[in-house]
Amino acid sequence: MPLTLQDVNLDDTLQLSTNFTNWDWVIVVVYLSGSVAIGLFANRYIRNMTDYIVAGRSLRSFISIATMLGSEVGLVTVMYTAQKGFTGGFSAFHIGLCAGIVPLIVGLTGFIVVPLREAKVKTIPEYYGLRFGKGVRVLGGFILTVAGILNMGVFLKAGAIFVTALTGLHDPMVVNIVMTVLIVLVLIYTILGGMVSVVITDYIQFIVLSVALMLTAFFAAYELGWTHIIDTVEKVHGESGFNPFAEGEYGLSYVLWSFFVFGLVSSAVWPTAVIRACAAENVQVVRRLYTFSSIGFMTRFILPQFLGICALVYFWQHDVGRELFFAAEGGGVVADPNITLKAMPSFLAQILPAGAIGIVCAGMLAAFMSTHDSYLLCWASVFVEDVVNPIMGGELSTQARLTMARVFILLSAVFLLVWSLWYPLGQDMLDYLAVTGAVYASGAFALLLFGLYWKRASSVGAYLGLIAGTFAVLGLKPVQQLVNLSDMLGTQPTAAHIGLVTVGLSLVLMVLGSLLFPDSSGARRKS
Amino acid sequence: MIDGWATFWTWVLIGTAIVFTCLAIAVAIGGFFDIRALLKTIDRQHKEAETEQDGQNNGV
Repeated sequence: MPLTLQDVNLDDTLQLSTNFTNWDWVIVVVYLSGSVAIGLFANRYIRNMTDYIVAGRSLRSFISIATMLGSEVGLVTVMYTAQKGFTGGFSAFHIGLCAGIVPLIVGLTGFIVVPLREAKVKTIPEYYGLRFGKGVRVLGGFILTVAGILNMGVFLKAGAIFVTALTGLHDPMVVNIVMTVLIVLVLIYTILGGMVSVVITDYIQFIVLSVALMLTAFFAAYELGWTHIIDTVEKVHGESGFNPFAEGEYGLSYVLWSFFVFGLVSSAVWPTAVIRACAAENVQVVRRLYTFSSIGFMTRFILPQFLGICALVYFWQHDVGRELFFAAEGGGVVADPNITLKAMPSFLAQILPAGAIGIVCAGMLAAFMSTHDSYLLCWASVFVEDVVNPIMGGELSTQARLTMARVFILLSAVFLLVWSLWYPLGQDMLDYLAVTGAVYASGAFALLLFGLYWKRASSVGAYLGLIAGTFAVLGLKPVQQLVNLSDMLGTQPTAAHIGLVTVGLSLVLMVLGSLLFPDSSGARRKS
Repeated sequence: MIDGWATFWTWVLIGTAIVFTCLAIAVAIGGFFDIRALLKTIDRQHKEAETEQDGQNNGV
């Protein structure tokens, strides 16, 4: 059943009350206005494309960590990871462990990110261009832009569900207006201030969100009681609520997929994270950035998942909540992801007192904005620097590129509004995010891995790796139905299965293409 | 089996909360000084670029 913003106003949430008051709205408005004002202040520091995209390559360790986590700990992440905690119990924590362990290894070894920083590129496709030529850069940039913008397509929806459940707003038009105002605020300071404004606002948002998450988790645990939490998860989920390898929500293939997507891709391949490495002052900063950010990467999953678990425990003993979020006759959690996505914000609306709920809402909306600003800036940079400029022969002036990036950000935001507000997506949020991310990441991982560490990697191999990665789109349910994938395979593959196969295919084709069609010795020397 | 996993995840949660709190405090303090340094560096880069540009113009 496709979910649109129009579906956010479901009657069920009307039955749950909220502690959100007008004072909380005041806190939210004051906080968000301050963020925008600071973002506007940063405009005076923007004079060229390097200032705009990588803040003059002047980011030191602490601010790099703050801005990376400020961007990556988004409202969307909080929403869907809390949903995982609600539907999977403590087993979901394995995602956080994967997300923490892999960046730690990346930081200690410098895997992928240090050679990228040494190459002094601003974007990943720019590296493709250095290593494999202009054609691969343009193709890689195009795939990345399309996948990235589509990936953002559900962000506004997540924000709308959160606002609806937390504040008690139920008029779809009001929710649409709130989300539109937020995206306009993001546009104003991102278009004008570029990376400098993104860095400053991310720093503030990191602090507010960290405090909000920690206090909320502590308060929730205190209110519910630790033993009660453990007992309820056992009652609802059984062993699969604790053991990620047990039959149920996850299993071995999902754990492997988690290591790749939530560990490796989200830290070392996803461009909004890698751009921080590219913006770092030197490679020592890059190593420190990843080593210490691994804590944040882990926390961004584990704390929201814990809030999802607390929502599970709370609504299990709540008359109305039990009817809404659990199947009848002692069944487990309801299967409808549209409902389970609302569990965490509905829980916060019930347990947090007035005032605290405003701060949490401001922190979450700040996270929503900080993700949008970084993502919009990143896709615009890639589109202008790696697609348009190379096609135009690299002769566009700085002013033309800046203007083009700003126009692209504006058009992207309009597209996101239309996509989120008026078009059904056809499947649940996490699958959509994983699949659209994998369309880019499967091929990108192959190109980065072999491009950086294998001298014989060739441009033909790179083309094949990139194209193979786009097969991850088969993870989208409408596409599966279009090509009758389950009939062809005789089984219904999960997103994890398709993702792992696509990654393998990209790696194999990259190697085969490179061995069968090697670059000329002149081209190899040049790269 | 469940008890073992429950204990493990309990310690993972506690460890995460403690380490993240320390990180957040360090980043909040260190980040403030980094932002000041960032703005100064960008200002300096712009001034150097302007001086270089002036030098080139005078040379011409």
